[in-house]
Amino acid sequence: MSKTVQLFVTCLIDSLFPEIGEAVVEVLMRAGVQVAIPQEQTCCGQPAFNAGYRGPARKMARHTIEVLEDTVGPVVVPSGSCAGMIRHGYLELFADDPTWLLRANMLAERTYELSEFLVDQLGVVDLGASFIGRLAYHPSCHLLRGLGVDHQPLDLLEGVAMAQVHRLKPECCGFGGVFAVDQPEISTEMLKRKLAEINQSEAGVVVGCDVSCLMHIEGGLRHIGSSVRCAHLAQVLAGREATLR
Amino acid sequence: MRNRFRHRIRNAIANPNLQVALDRNAERRMAAWNETFASLPDVEDLRRRAREVRQHTLDNLDHYLERFTQRLVENGIRVHRAADAAEACRLAVAITQASGATLVAKSKSITTEEIDLNHSLQQGGIRVVETDLGEFIVQLRGEAPAHIITPAVHLLREDVAATFERELGMPYSTDVEDMNAAAKKVLREVFLTAQVGISGVNFGVVETGTLCLVTNEGNGRMVTTLPPIHIAIMGVERLVPSLDDLALMLQLLPRSATGQKTTSYVTLIQNPRQEGEPDGSDERHVILLDNGRLAMANSPLAESLLCIRCGACLNVCPVFREIGGHAYGSVYPGPIGSVVSPGLFGLSDFGHLAKASTLCGACKEVCPVGIDFPTMLLRVRDAYSNNTPQPLAMWLAMSLYAWLMVSPSRYRLAQRLGAWGSRLLPKQAGWVRTLPPPLSAWTSSRYFPSFAFQPFLARKQRLNYDAKPTPTPQRRKRETEQLTEKSQPEDVVDRFSRELEDIGGTIVRCEEGVAPDKVAAYLREFGITKLIAWGEQQPALNAVIHHLRDKGFEILDPCLPRGSGPERDRRMVDLGRAEAGLTGAIAGVAETGTLVVPAGRNQSQLASLLPPVHLVLLPASVIHQTMTDWLREGGEEAIAGASSLNLISGPSRTADIEMTLTIGVHGPGQVIVFCLD
Repeated sequence: MSKTVQLFVTCLIDSLFPEIGEAVVEVLMRAGVQVAIPQEQTCCGQPAFNAGYRGPARKMARHTIEVLEDTVGPVVVPSGSCAGMIRHGYLELFADDPTWLLRANMLAERTYELSEFLVDQLGVVDLGASFIGRLAYHPSCHLLRGLGVDHQPLDLLEGVAMAQVHRLKPECCGFGGVFAVDQPEISTEMLKRKLAEINQSEAGVVVGCDVSCLMHIEGGLRHIGSSVRCAHLAQVLAGREATLR
Repeated sequence: MRNRFRHRIRNAIANPNLQVALDRNAERRMAAWNETFASLPDVEDLRRRAREVRQHTLDNLDHYLERFTQRLVENGIRVHRAADAAEACRLAVAITQASGATLVAKSKSITTEEIDLNHSLQQGGIRVVETDLGEFIVQLRGEAPAHIITPAVHLLREDVAATFERELGMPYSTDVEDMNAAAKKVLREVFLTAQVGISGVNFGVVETGTLCLVTNEGNGRMVTTLPPIHIAIMGVERLVPSLDDLALMLQLLPRSATGQKTTSYVTLIQNPRQEGEPDGSDERHVILLDNGRLAMANSPLAESLLCIRCGACLNVCPVFREIGGHAYGSVYPGPIGSVVSPGLFGLSDFGHLAKASTLCGACKEVCPVGIDFPTMLLRVRDAYSNNTPQPLAMWLAMSLYAWLMVSPSRYRLAQRLGAWGSRLLPKQAGWVRTLPPPLSAWTSSRYFPSFAFQPFLARKQRLNYDAKPTPTPQRRKRETEQLTEKSQPEDVVDRFSRELEDIGGTIVRCEEGVAPDKVAAYLREFGITKLIAWGEQQPALNAVIHHLRDKGFEILDPCLPRGSGPERDRRMVDLGRAEAGLTGAIAGVAETGTLVVPAGRNQSQLASLLPPVHLVLLPASVIHQTMTDWLREGGEEAIAGASSLNLISGPSRTADIEMTLTIGVHGPGQVIVFCLD
């Protein structure tokens, strides 16, 4: 019965937040699927693509395609922006290269963001998790607008017993990859706005589906000495210590 | 360019007035946007169709440009093609100078800003006055517009009050109505005396050779009606094939731009003033501007030519909200500006703008023609990094990064180095407090997580997950949205009345026979004695006019002498004293409370424009539910047959100062419809 999914864990989770990776595996297993983890995976190449360096981005995209096309079954990515990179970004990168475009397309068609996979593909919304307290859900831009994944994370959070869920506005936190370093002033102003909204929500934990945004937000929270922490959706669903680290 | 951009960004963020103004703009505009789009049944379908129309037009642009030009010429409009900004300016200055004009009244047009036309006119010894309130304010301040549709978006009322005090000698007042009144007084003089009017064009309609202008204040109508010469400047891409397509665009443009179902005025111009018509510009010119557009149509940025210049992407952009329009250093700011500025004016000068985006996609979400902004911005970044000199360090960093990532073993090595590096840096509770430059830009306001000593991929081998029993998958029952409300369509006259009152108009329903008495009673009540009225028209209107004459009301002769001269000036001053205008209307549109008021033989345009009160006789039998209904039932012929025609929706209005609504700017402040049953 149980099918196997390929976990593309993303380089940020792998390198910075391995606990999230463990939570993702646990959530997927609880949802009744087996998890394979291709060992040769690295980075999808999104930072280079977004910075306008398509040559380097293509190298990483080819590597990722090669690693994943050797596997079967759905590819699950616990990150909206990385899933979006594979689904849309690769097609743009290889628009003029029919062979690679075909390969990119085949990968794109079996790639899903985690919450999207759980809700839309498996039909799972209740994973038996519970959380005592108030959660603020941050709809990250690439997930919400890039992939059109809007209700799925909320459906899953609704299945978390006892959790009070506050929805943050669908406004960017100011991360934007290289943007955060290239335009620190604008990025910081946008982050301030987000932090103020989080503070107002009176939530103890900010939950989302993009580690990049979450580390940006938590980095900001820690910088101002806030005790609010961020957690990936999988951490809340796995019922683990709900914070990035 | 880049350094100046940084500098302007810092200044914008440090400017408290600007920050307040930008926050208000974002909040109010988006609230209005949400409300007005909620009144449409199927927004996605509309947007899809609008995109198709625009795409089809661009795909066949050469053909449509040729047809459009041909129709304009047939309509008696003189057409000029300008390859670039300099040529467009030369043409406009030459037409103006040839007429001997010394004063130009201009309505808001971002295309004329693009070519910096005012500068050329002034160099040619011509005084040019911006007549849109927002443009007027920024012109007085010697600034460029800060937004493509709300030029003074960056200012608070205090800023405007100080400007008016300094430049107009008006006593300092932060009352928005006072300020609008002061501007109106100055500009009325300009309308009545300018010999040339210059406008932009929102859409050119190919099949009829129509110039469509979408405005609120009434200055656009003044500028295209009063001066003997009208020059319209439009980008070559601003075409739609048919009036039907135009109707589609008109559902989206005002909603996207200002959150209105429709603007006060939609002006459809076909001809210069014709024989027997009492007013209208005698001579009309269209300058079709390329300025890089045709080249862009064959570039990876072609999609951005779909733009209908609504400015919604600016209002929703979180970056624009922080830095405002001026920081971009281009007449086109915000998301659309970050694509078309490099596309039209060059990558090396404007390519960096595309980096000032998080690719959050809010712009794509609101775009009425669905421009894929994130993809466009990424293409600009790609071209910018490939075609302009970039810092060597960035190139090295990207190459190194890719080199590390294509090899799992090098990737693991990098992770290990990252972990050791993190260990050496100052931390708090495991998060790095300070990174070395250039990454210190991150830690200026954020801590950075440290690299894990044992990455996930290295960890998994020793993981021993307990395969928990799988819960029965539950598919949540999504509330089935009940959209079954299929009530009877509202009575067309009731709907018209409701919509008209919603936008500040007044409706008086009466039998045709009692209309003369009703109108006279109304005029007496408001102490009105002097009117501009249409000449001989339909019997109902004639009856009212005869009755008013009999009762001693003064009906002015609305016919303006052609050309310029003292006789015309005298007549203009006289007409300017009229207290009300009385016209008919050939149709009403219920969905927006719109009146269709043509200009033709005996149909004075000034009657619905110059006086503070506009009275309209509208037979109930000519009210249609929608614009499309009207177009199908005789509207298309009516438009093609009128030298110009206005779709009037309520009184003239502006919200250029702090988005505070003022009714009655250059056009009438009251619109009273006598609906004849």
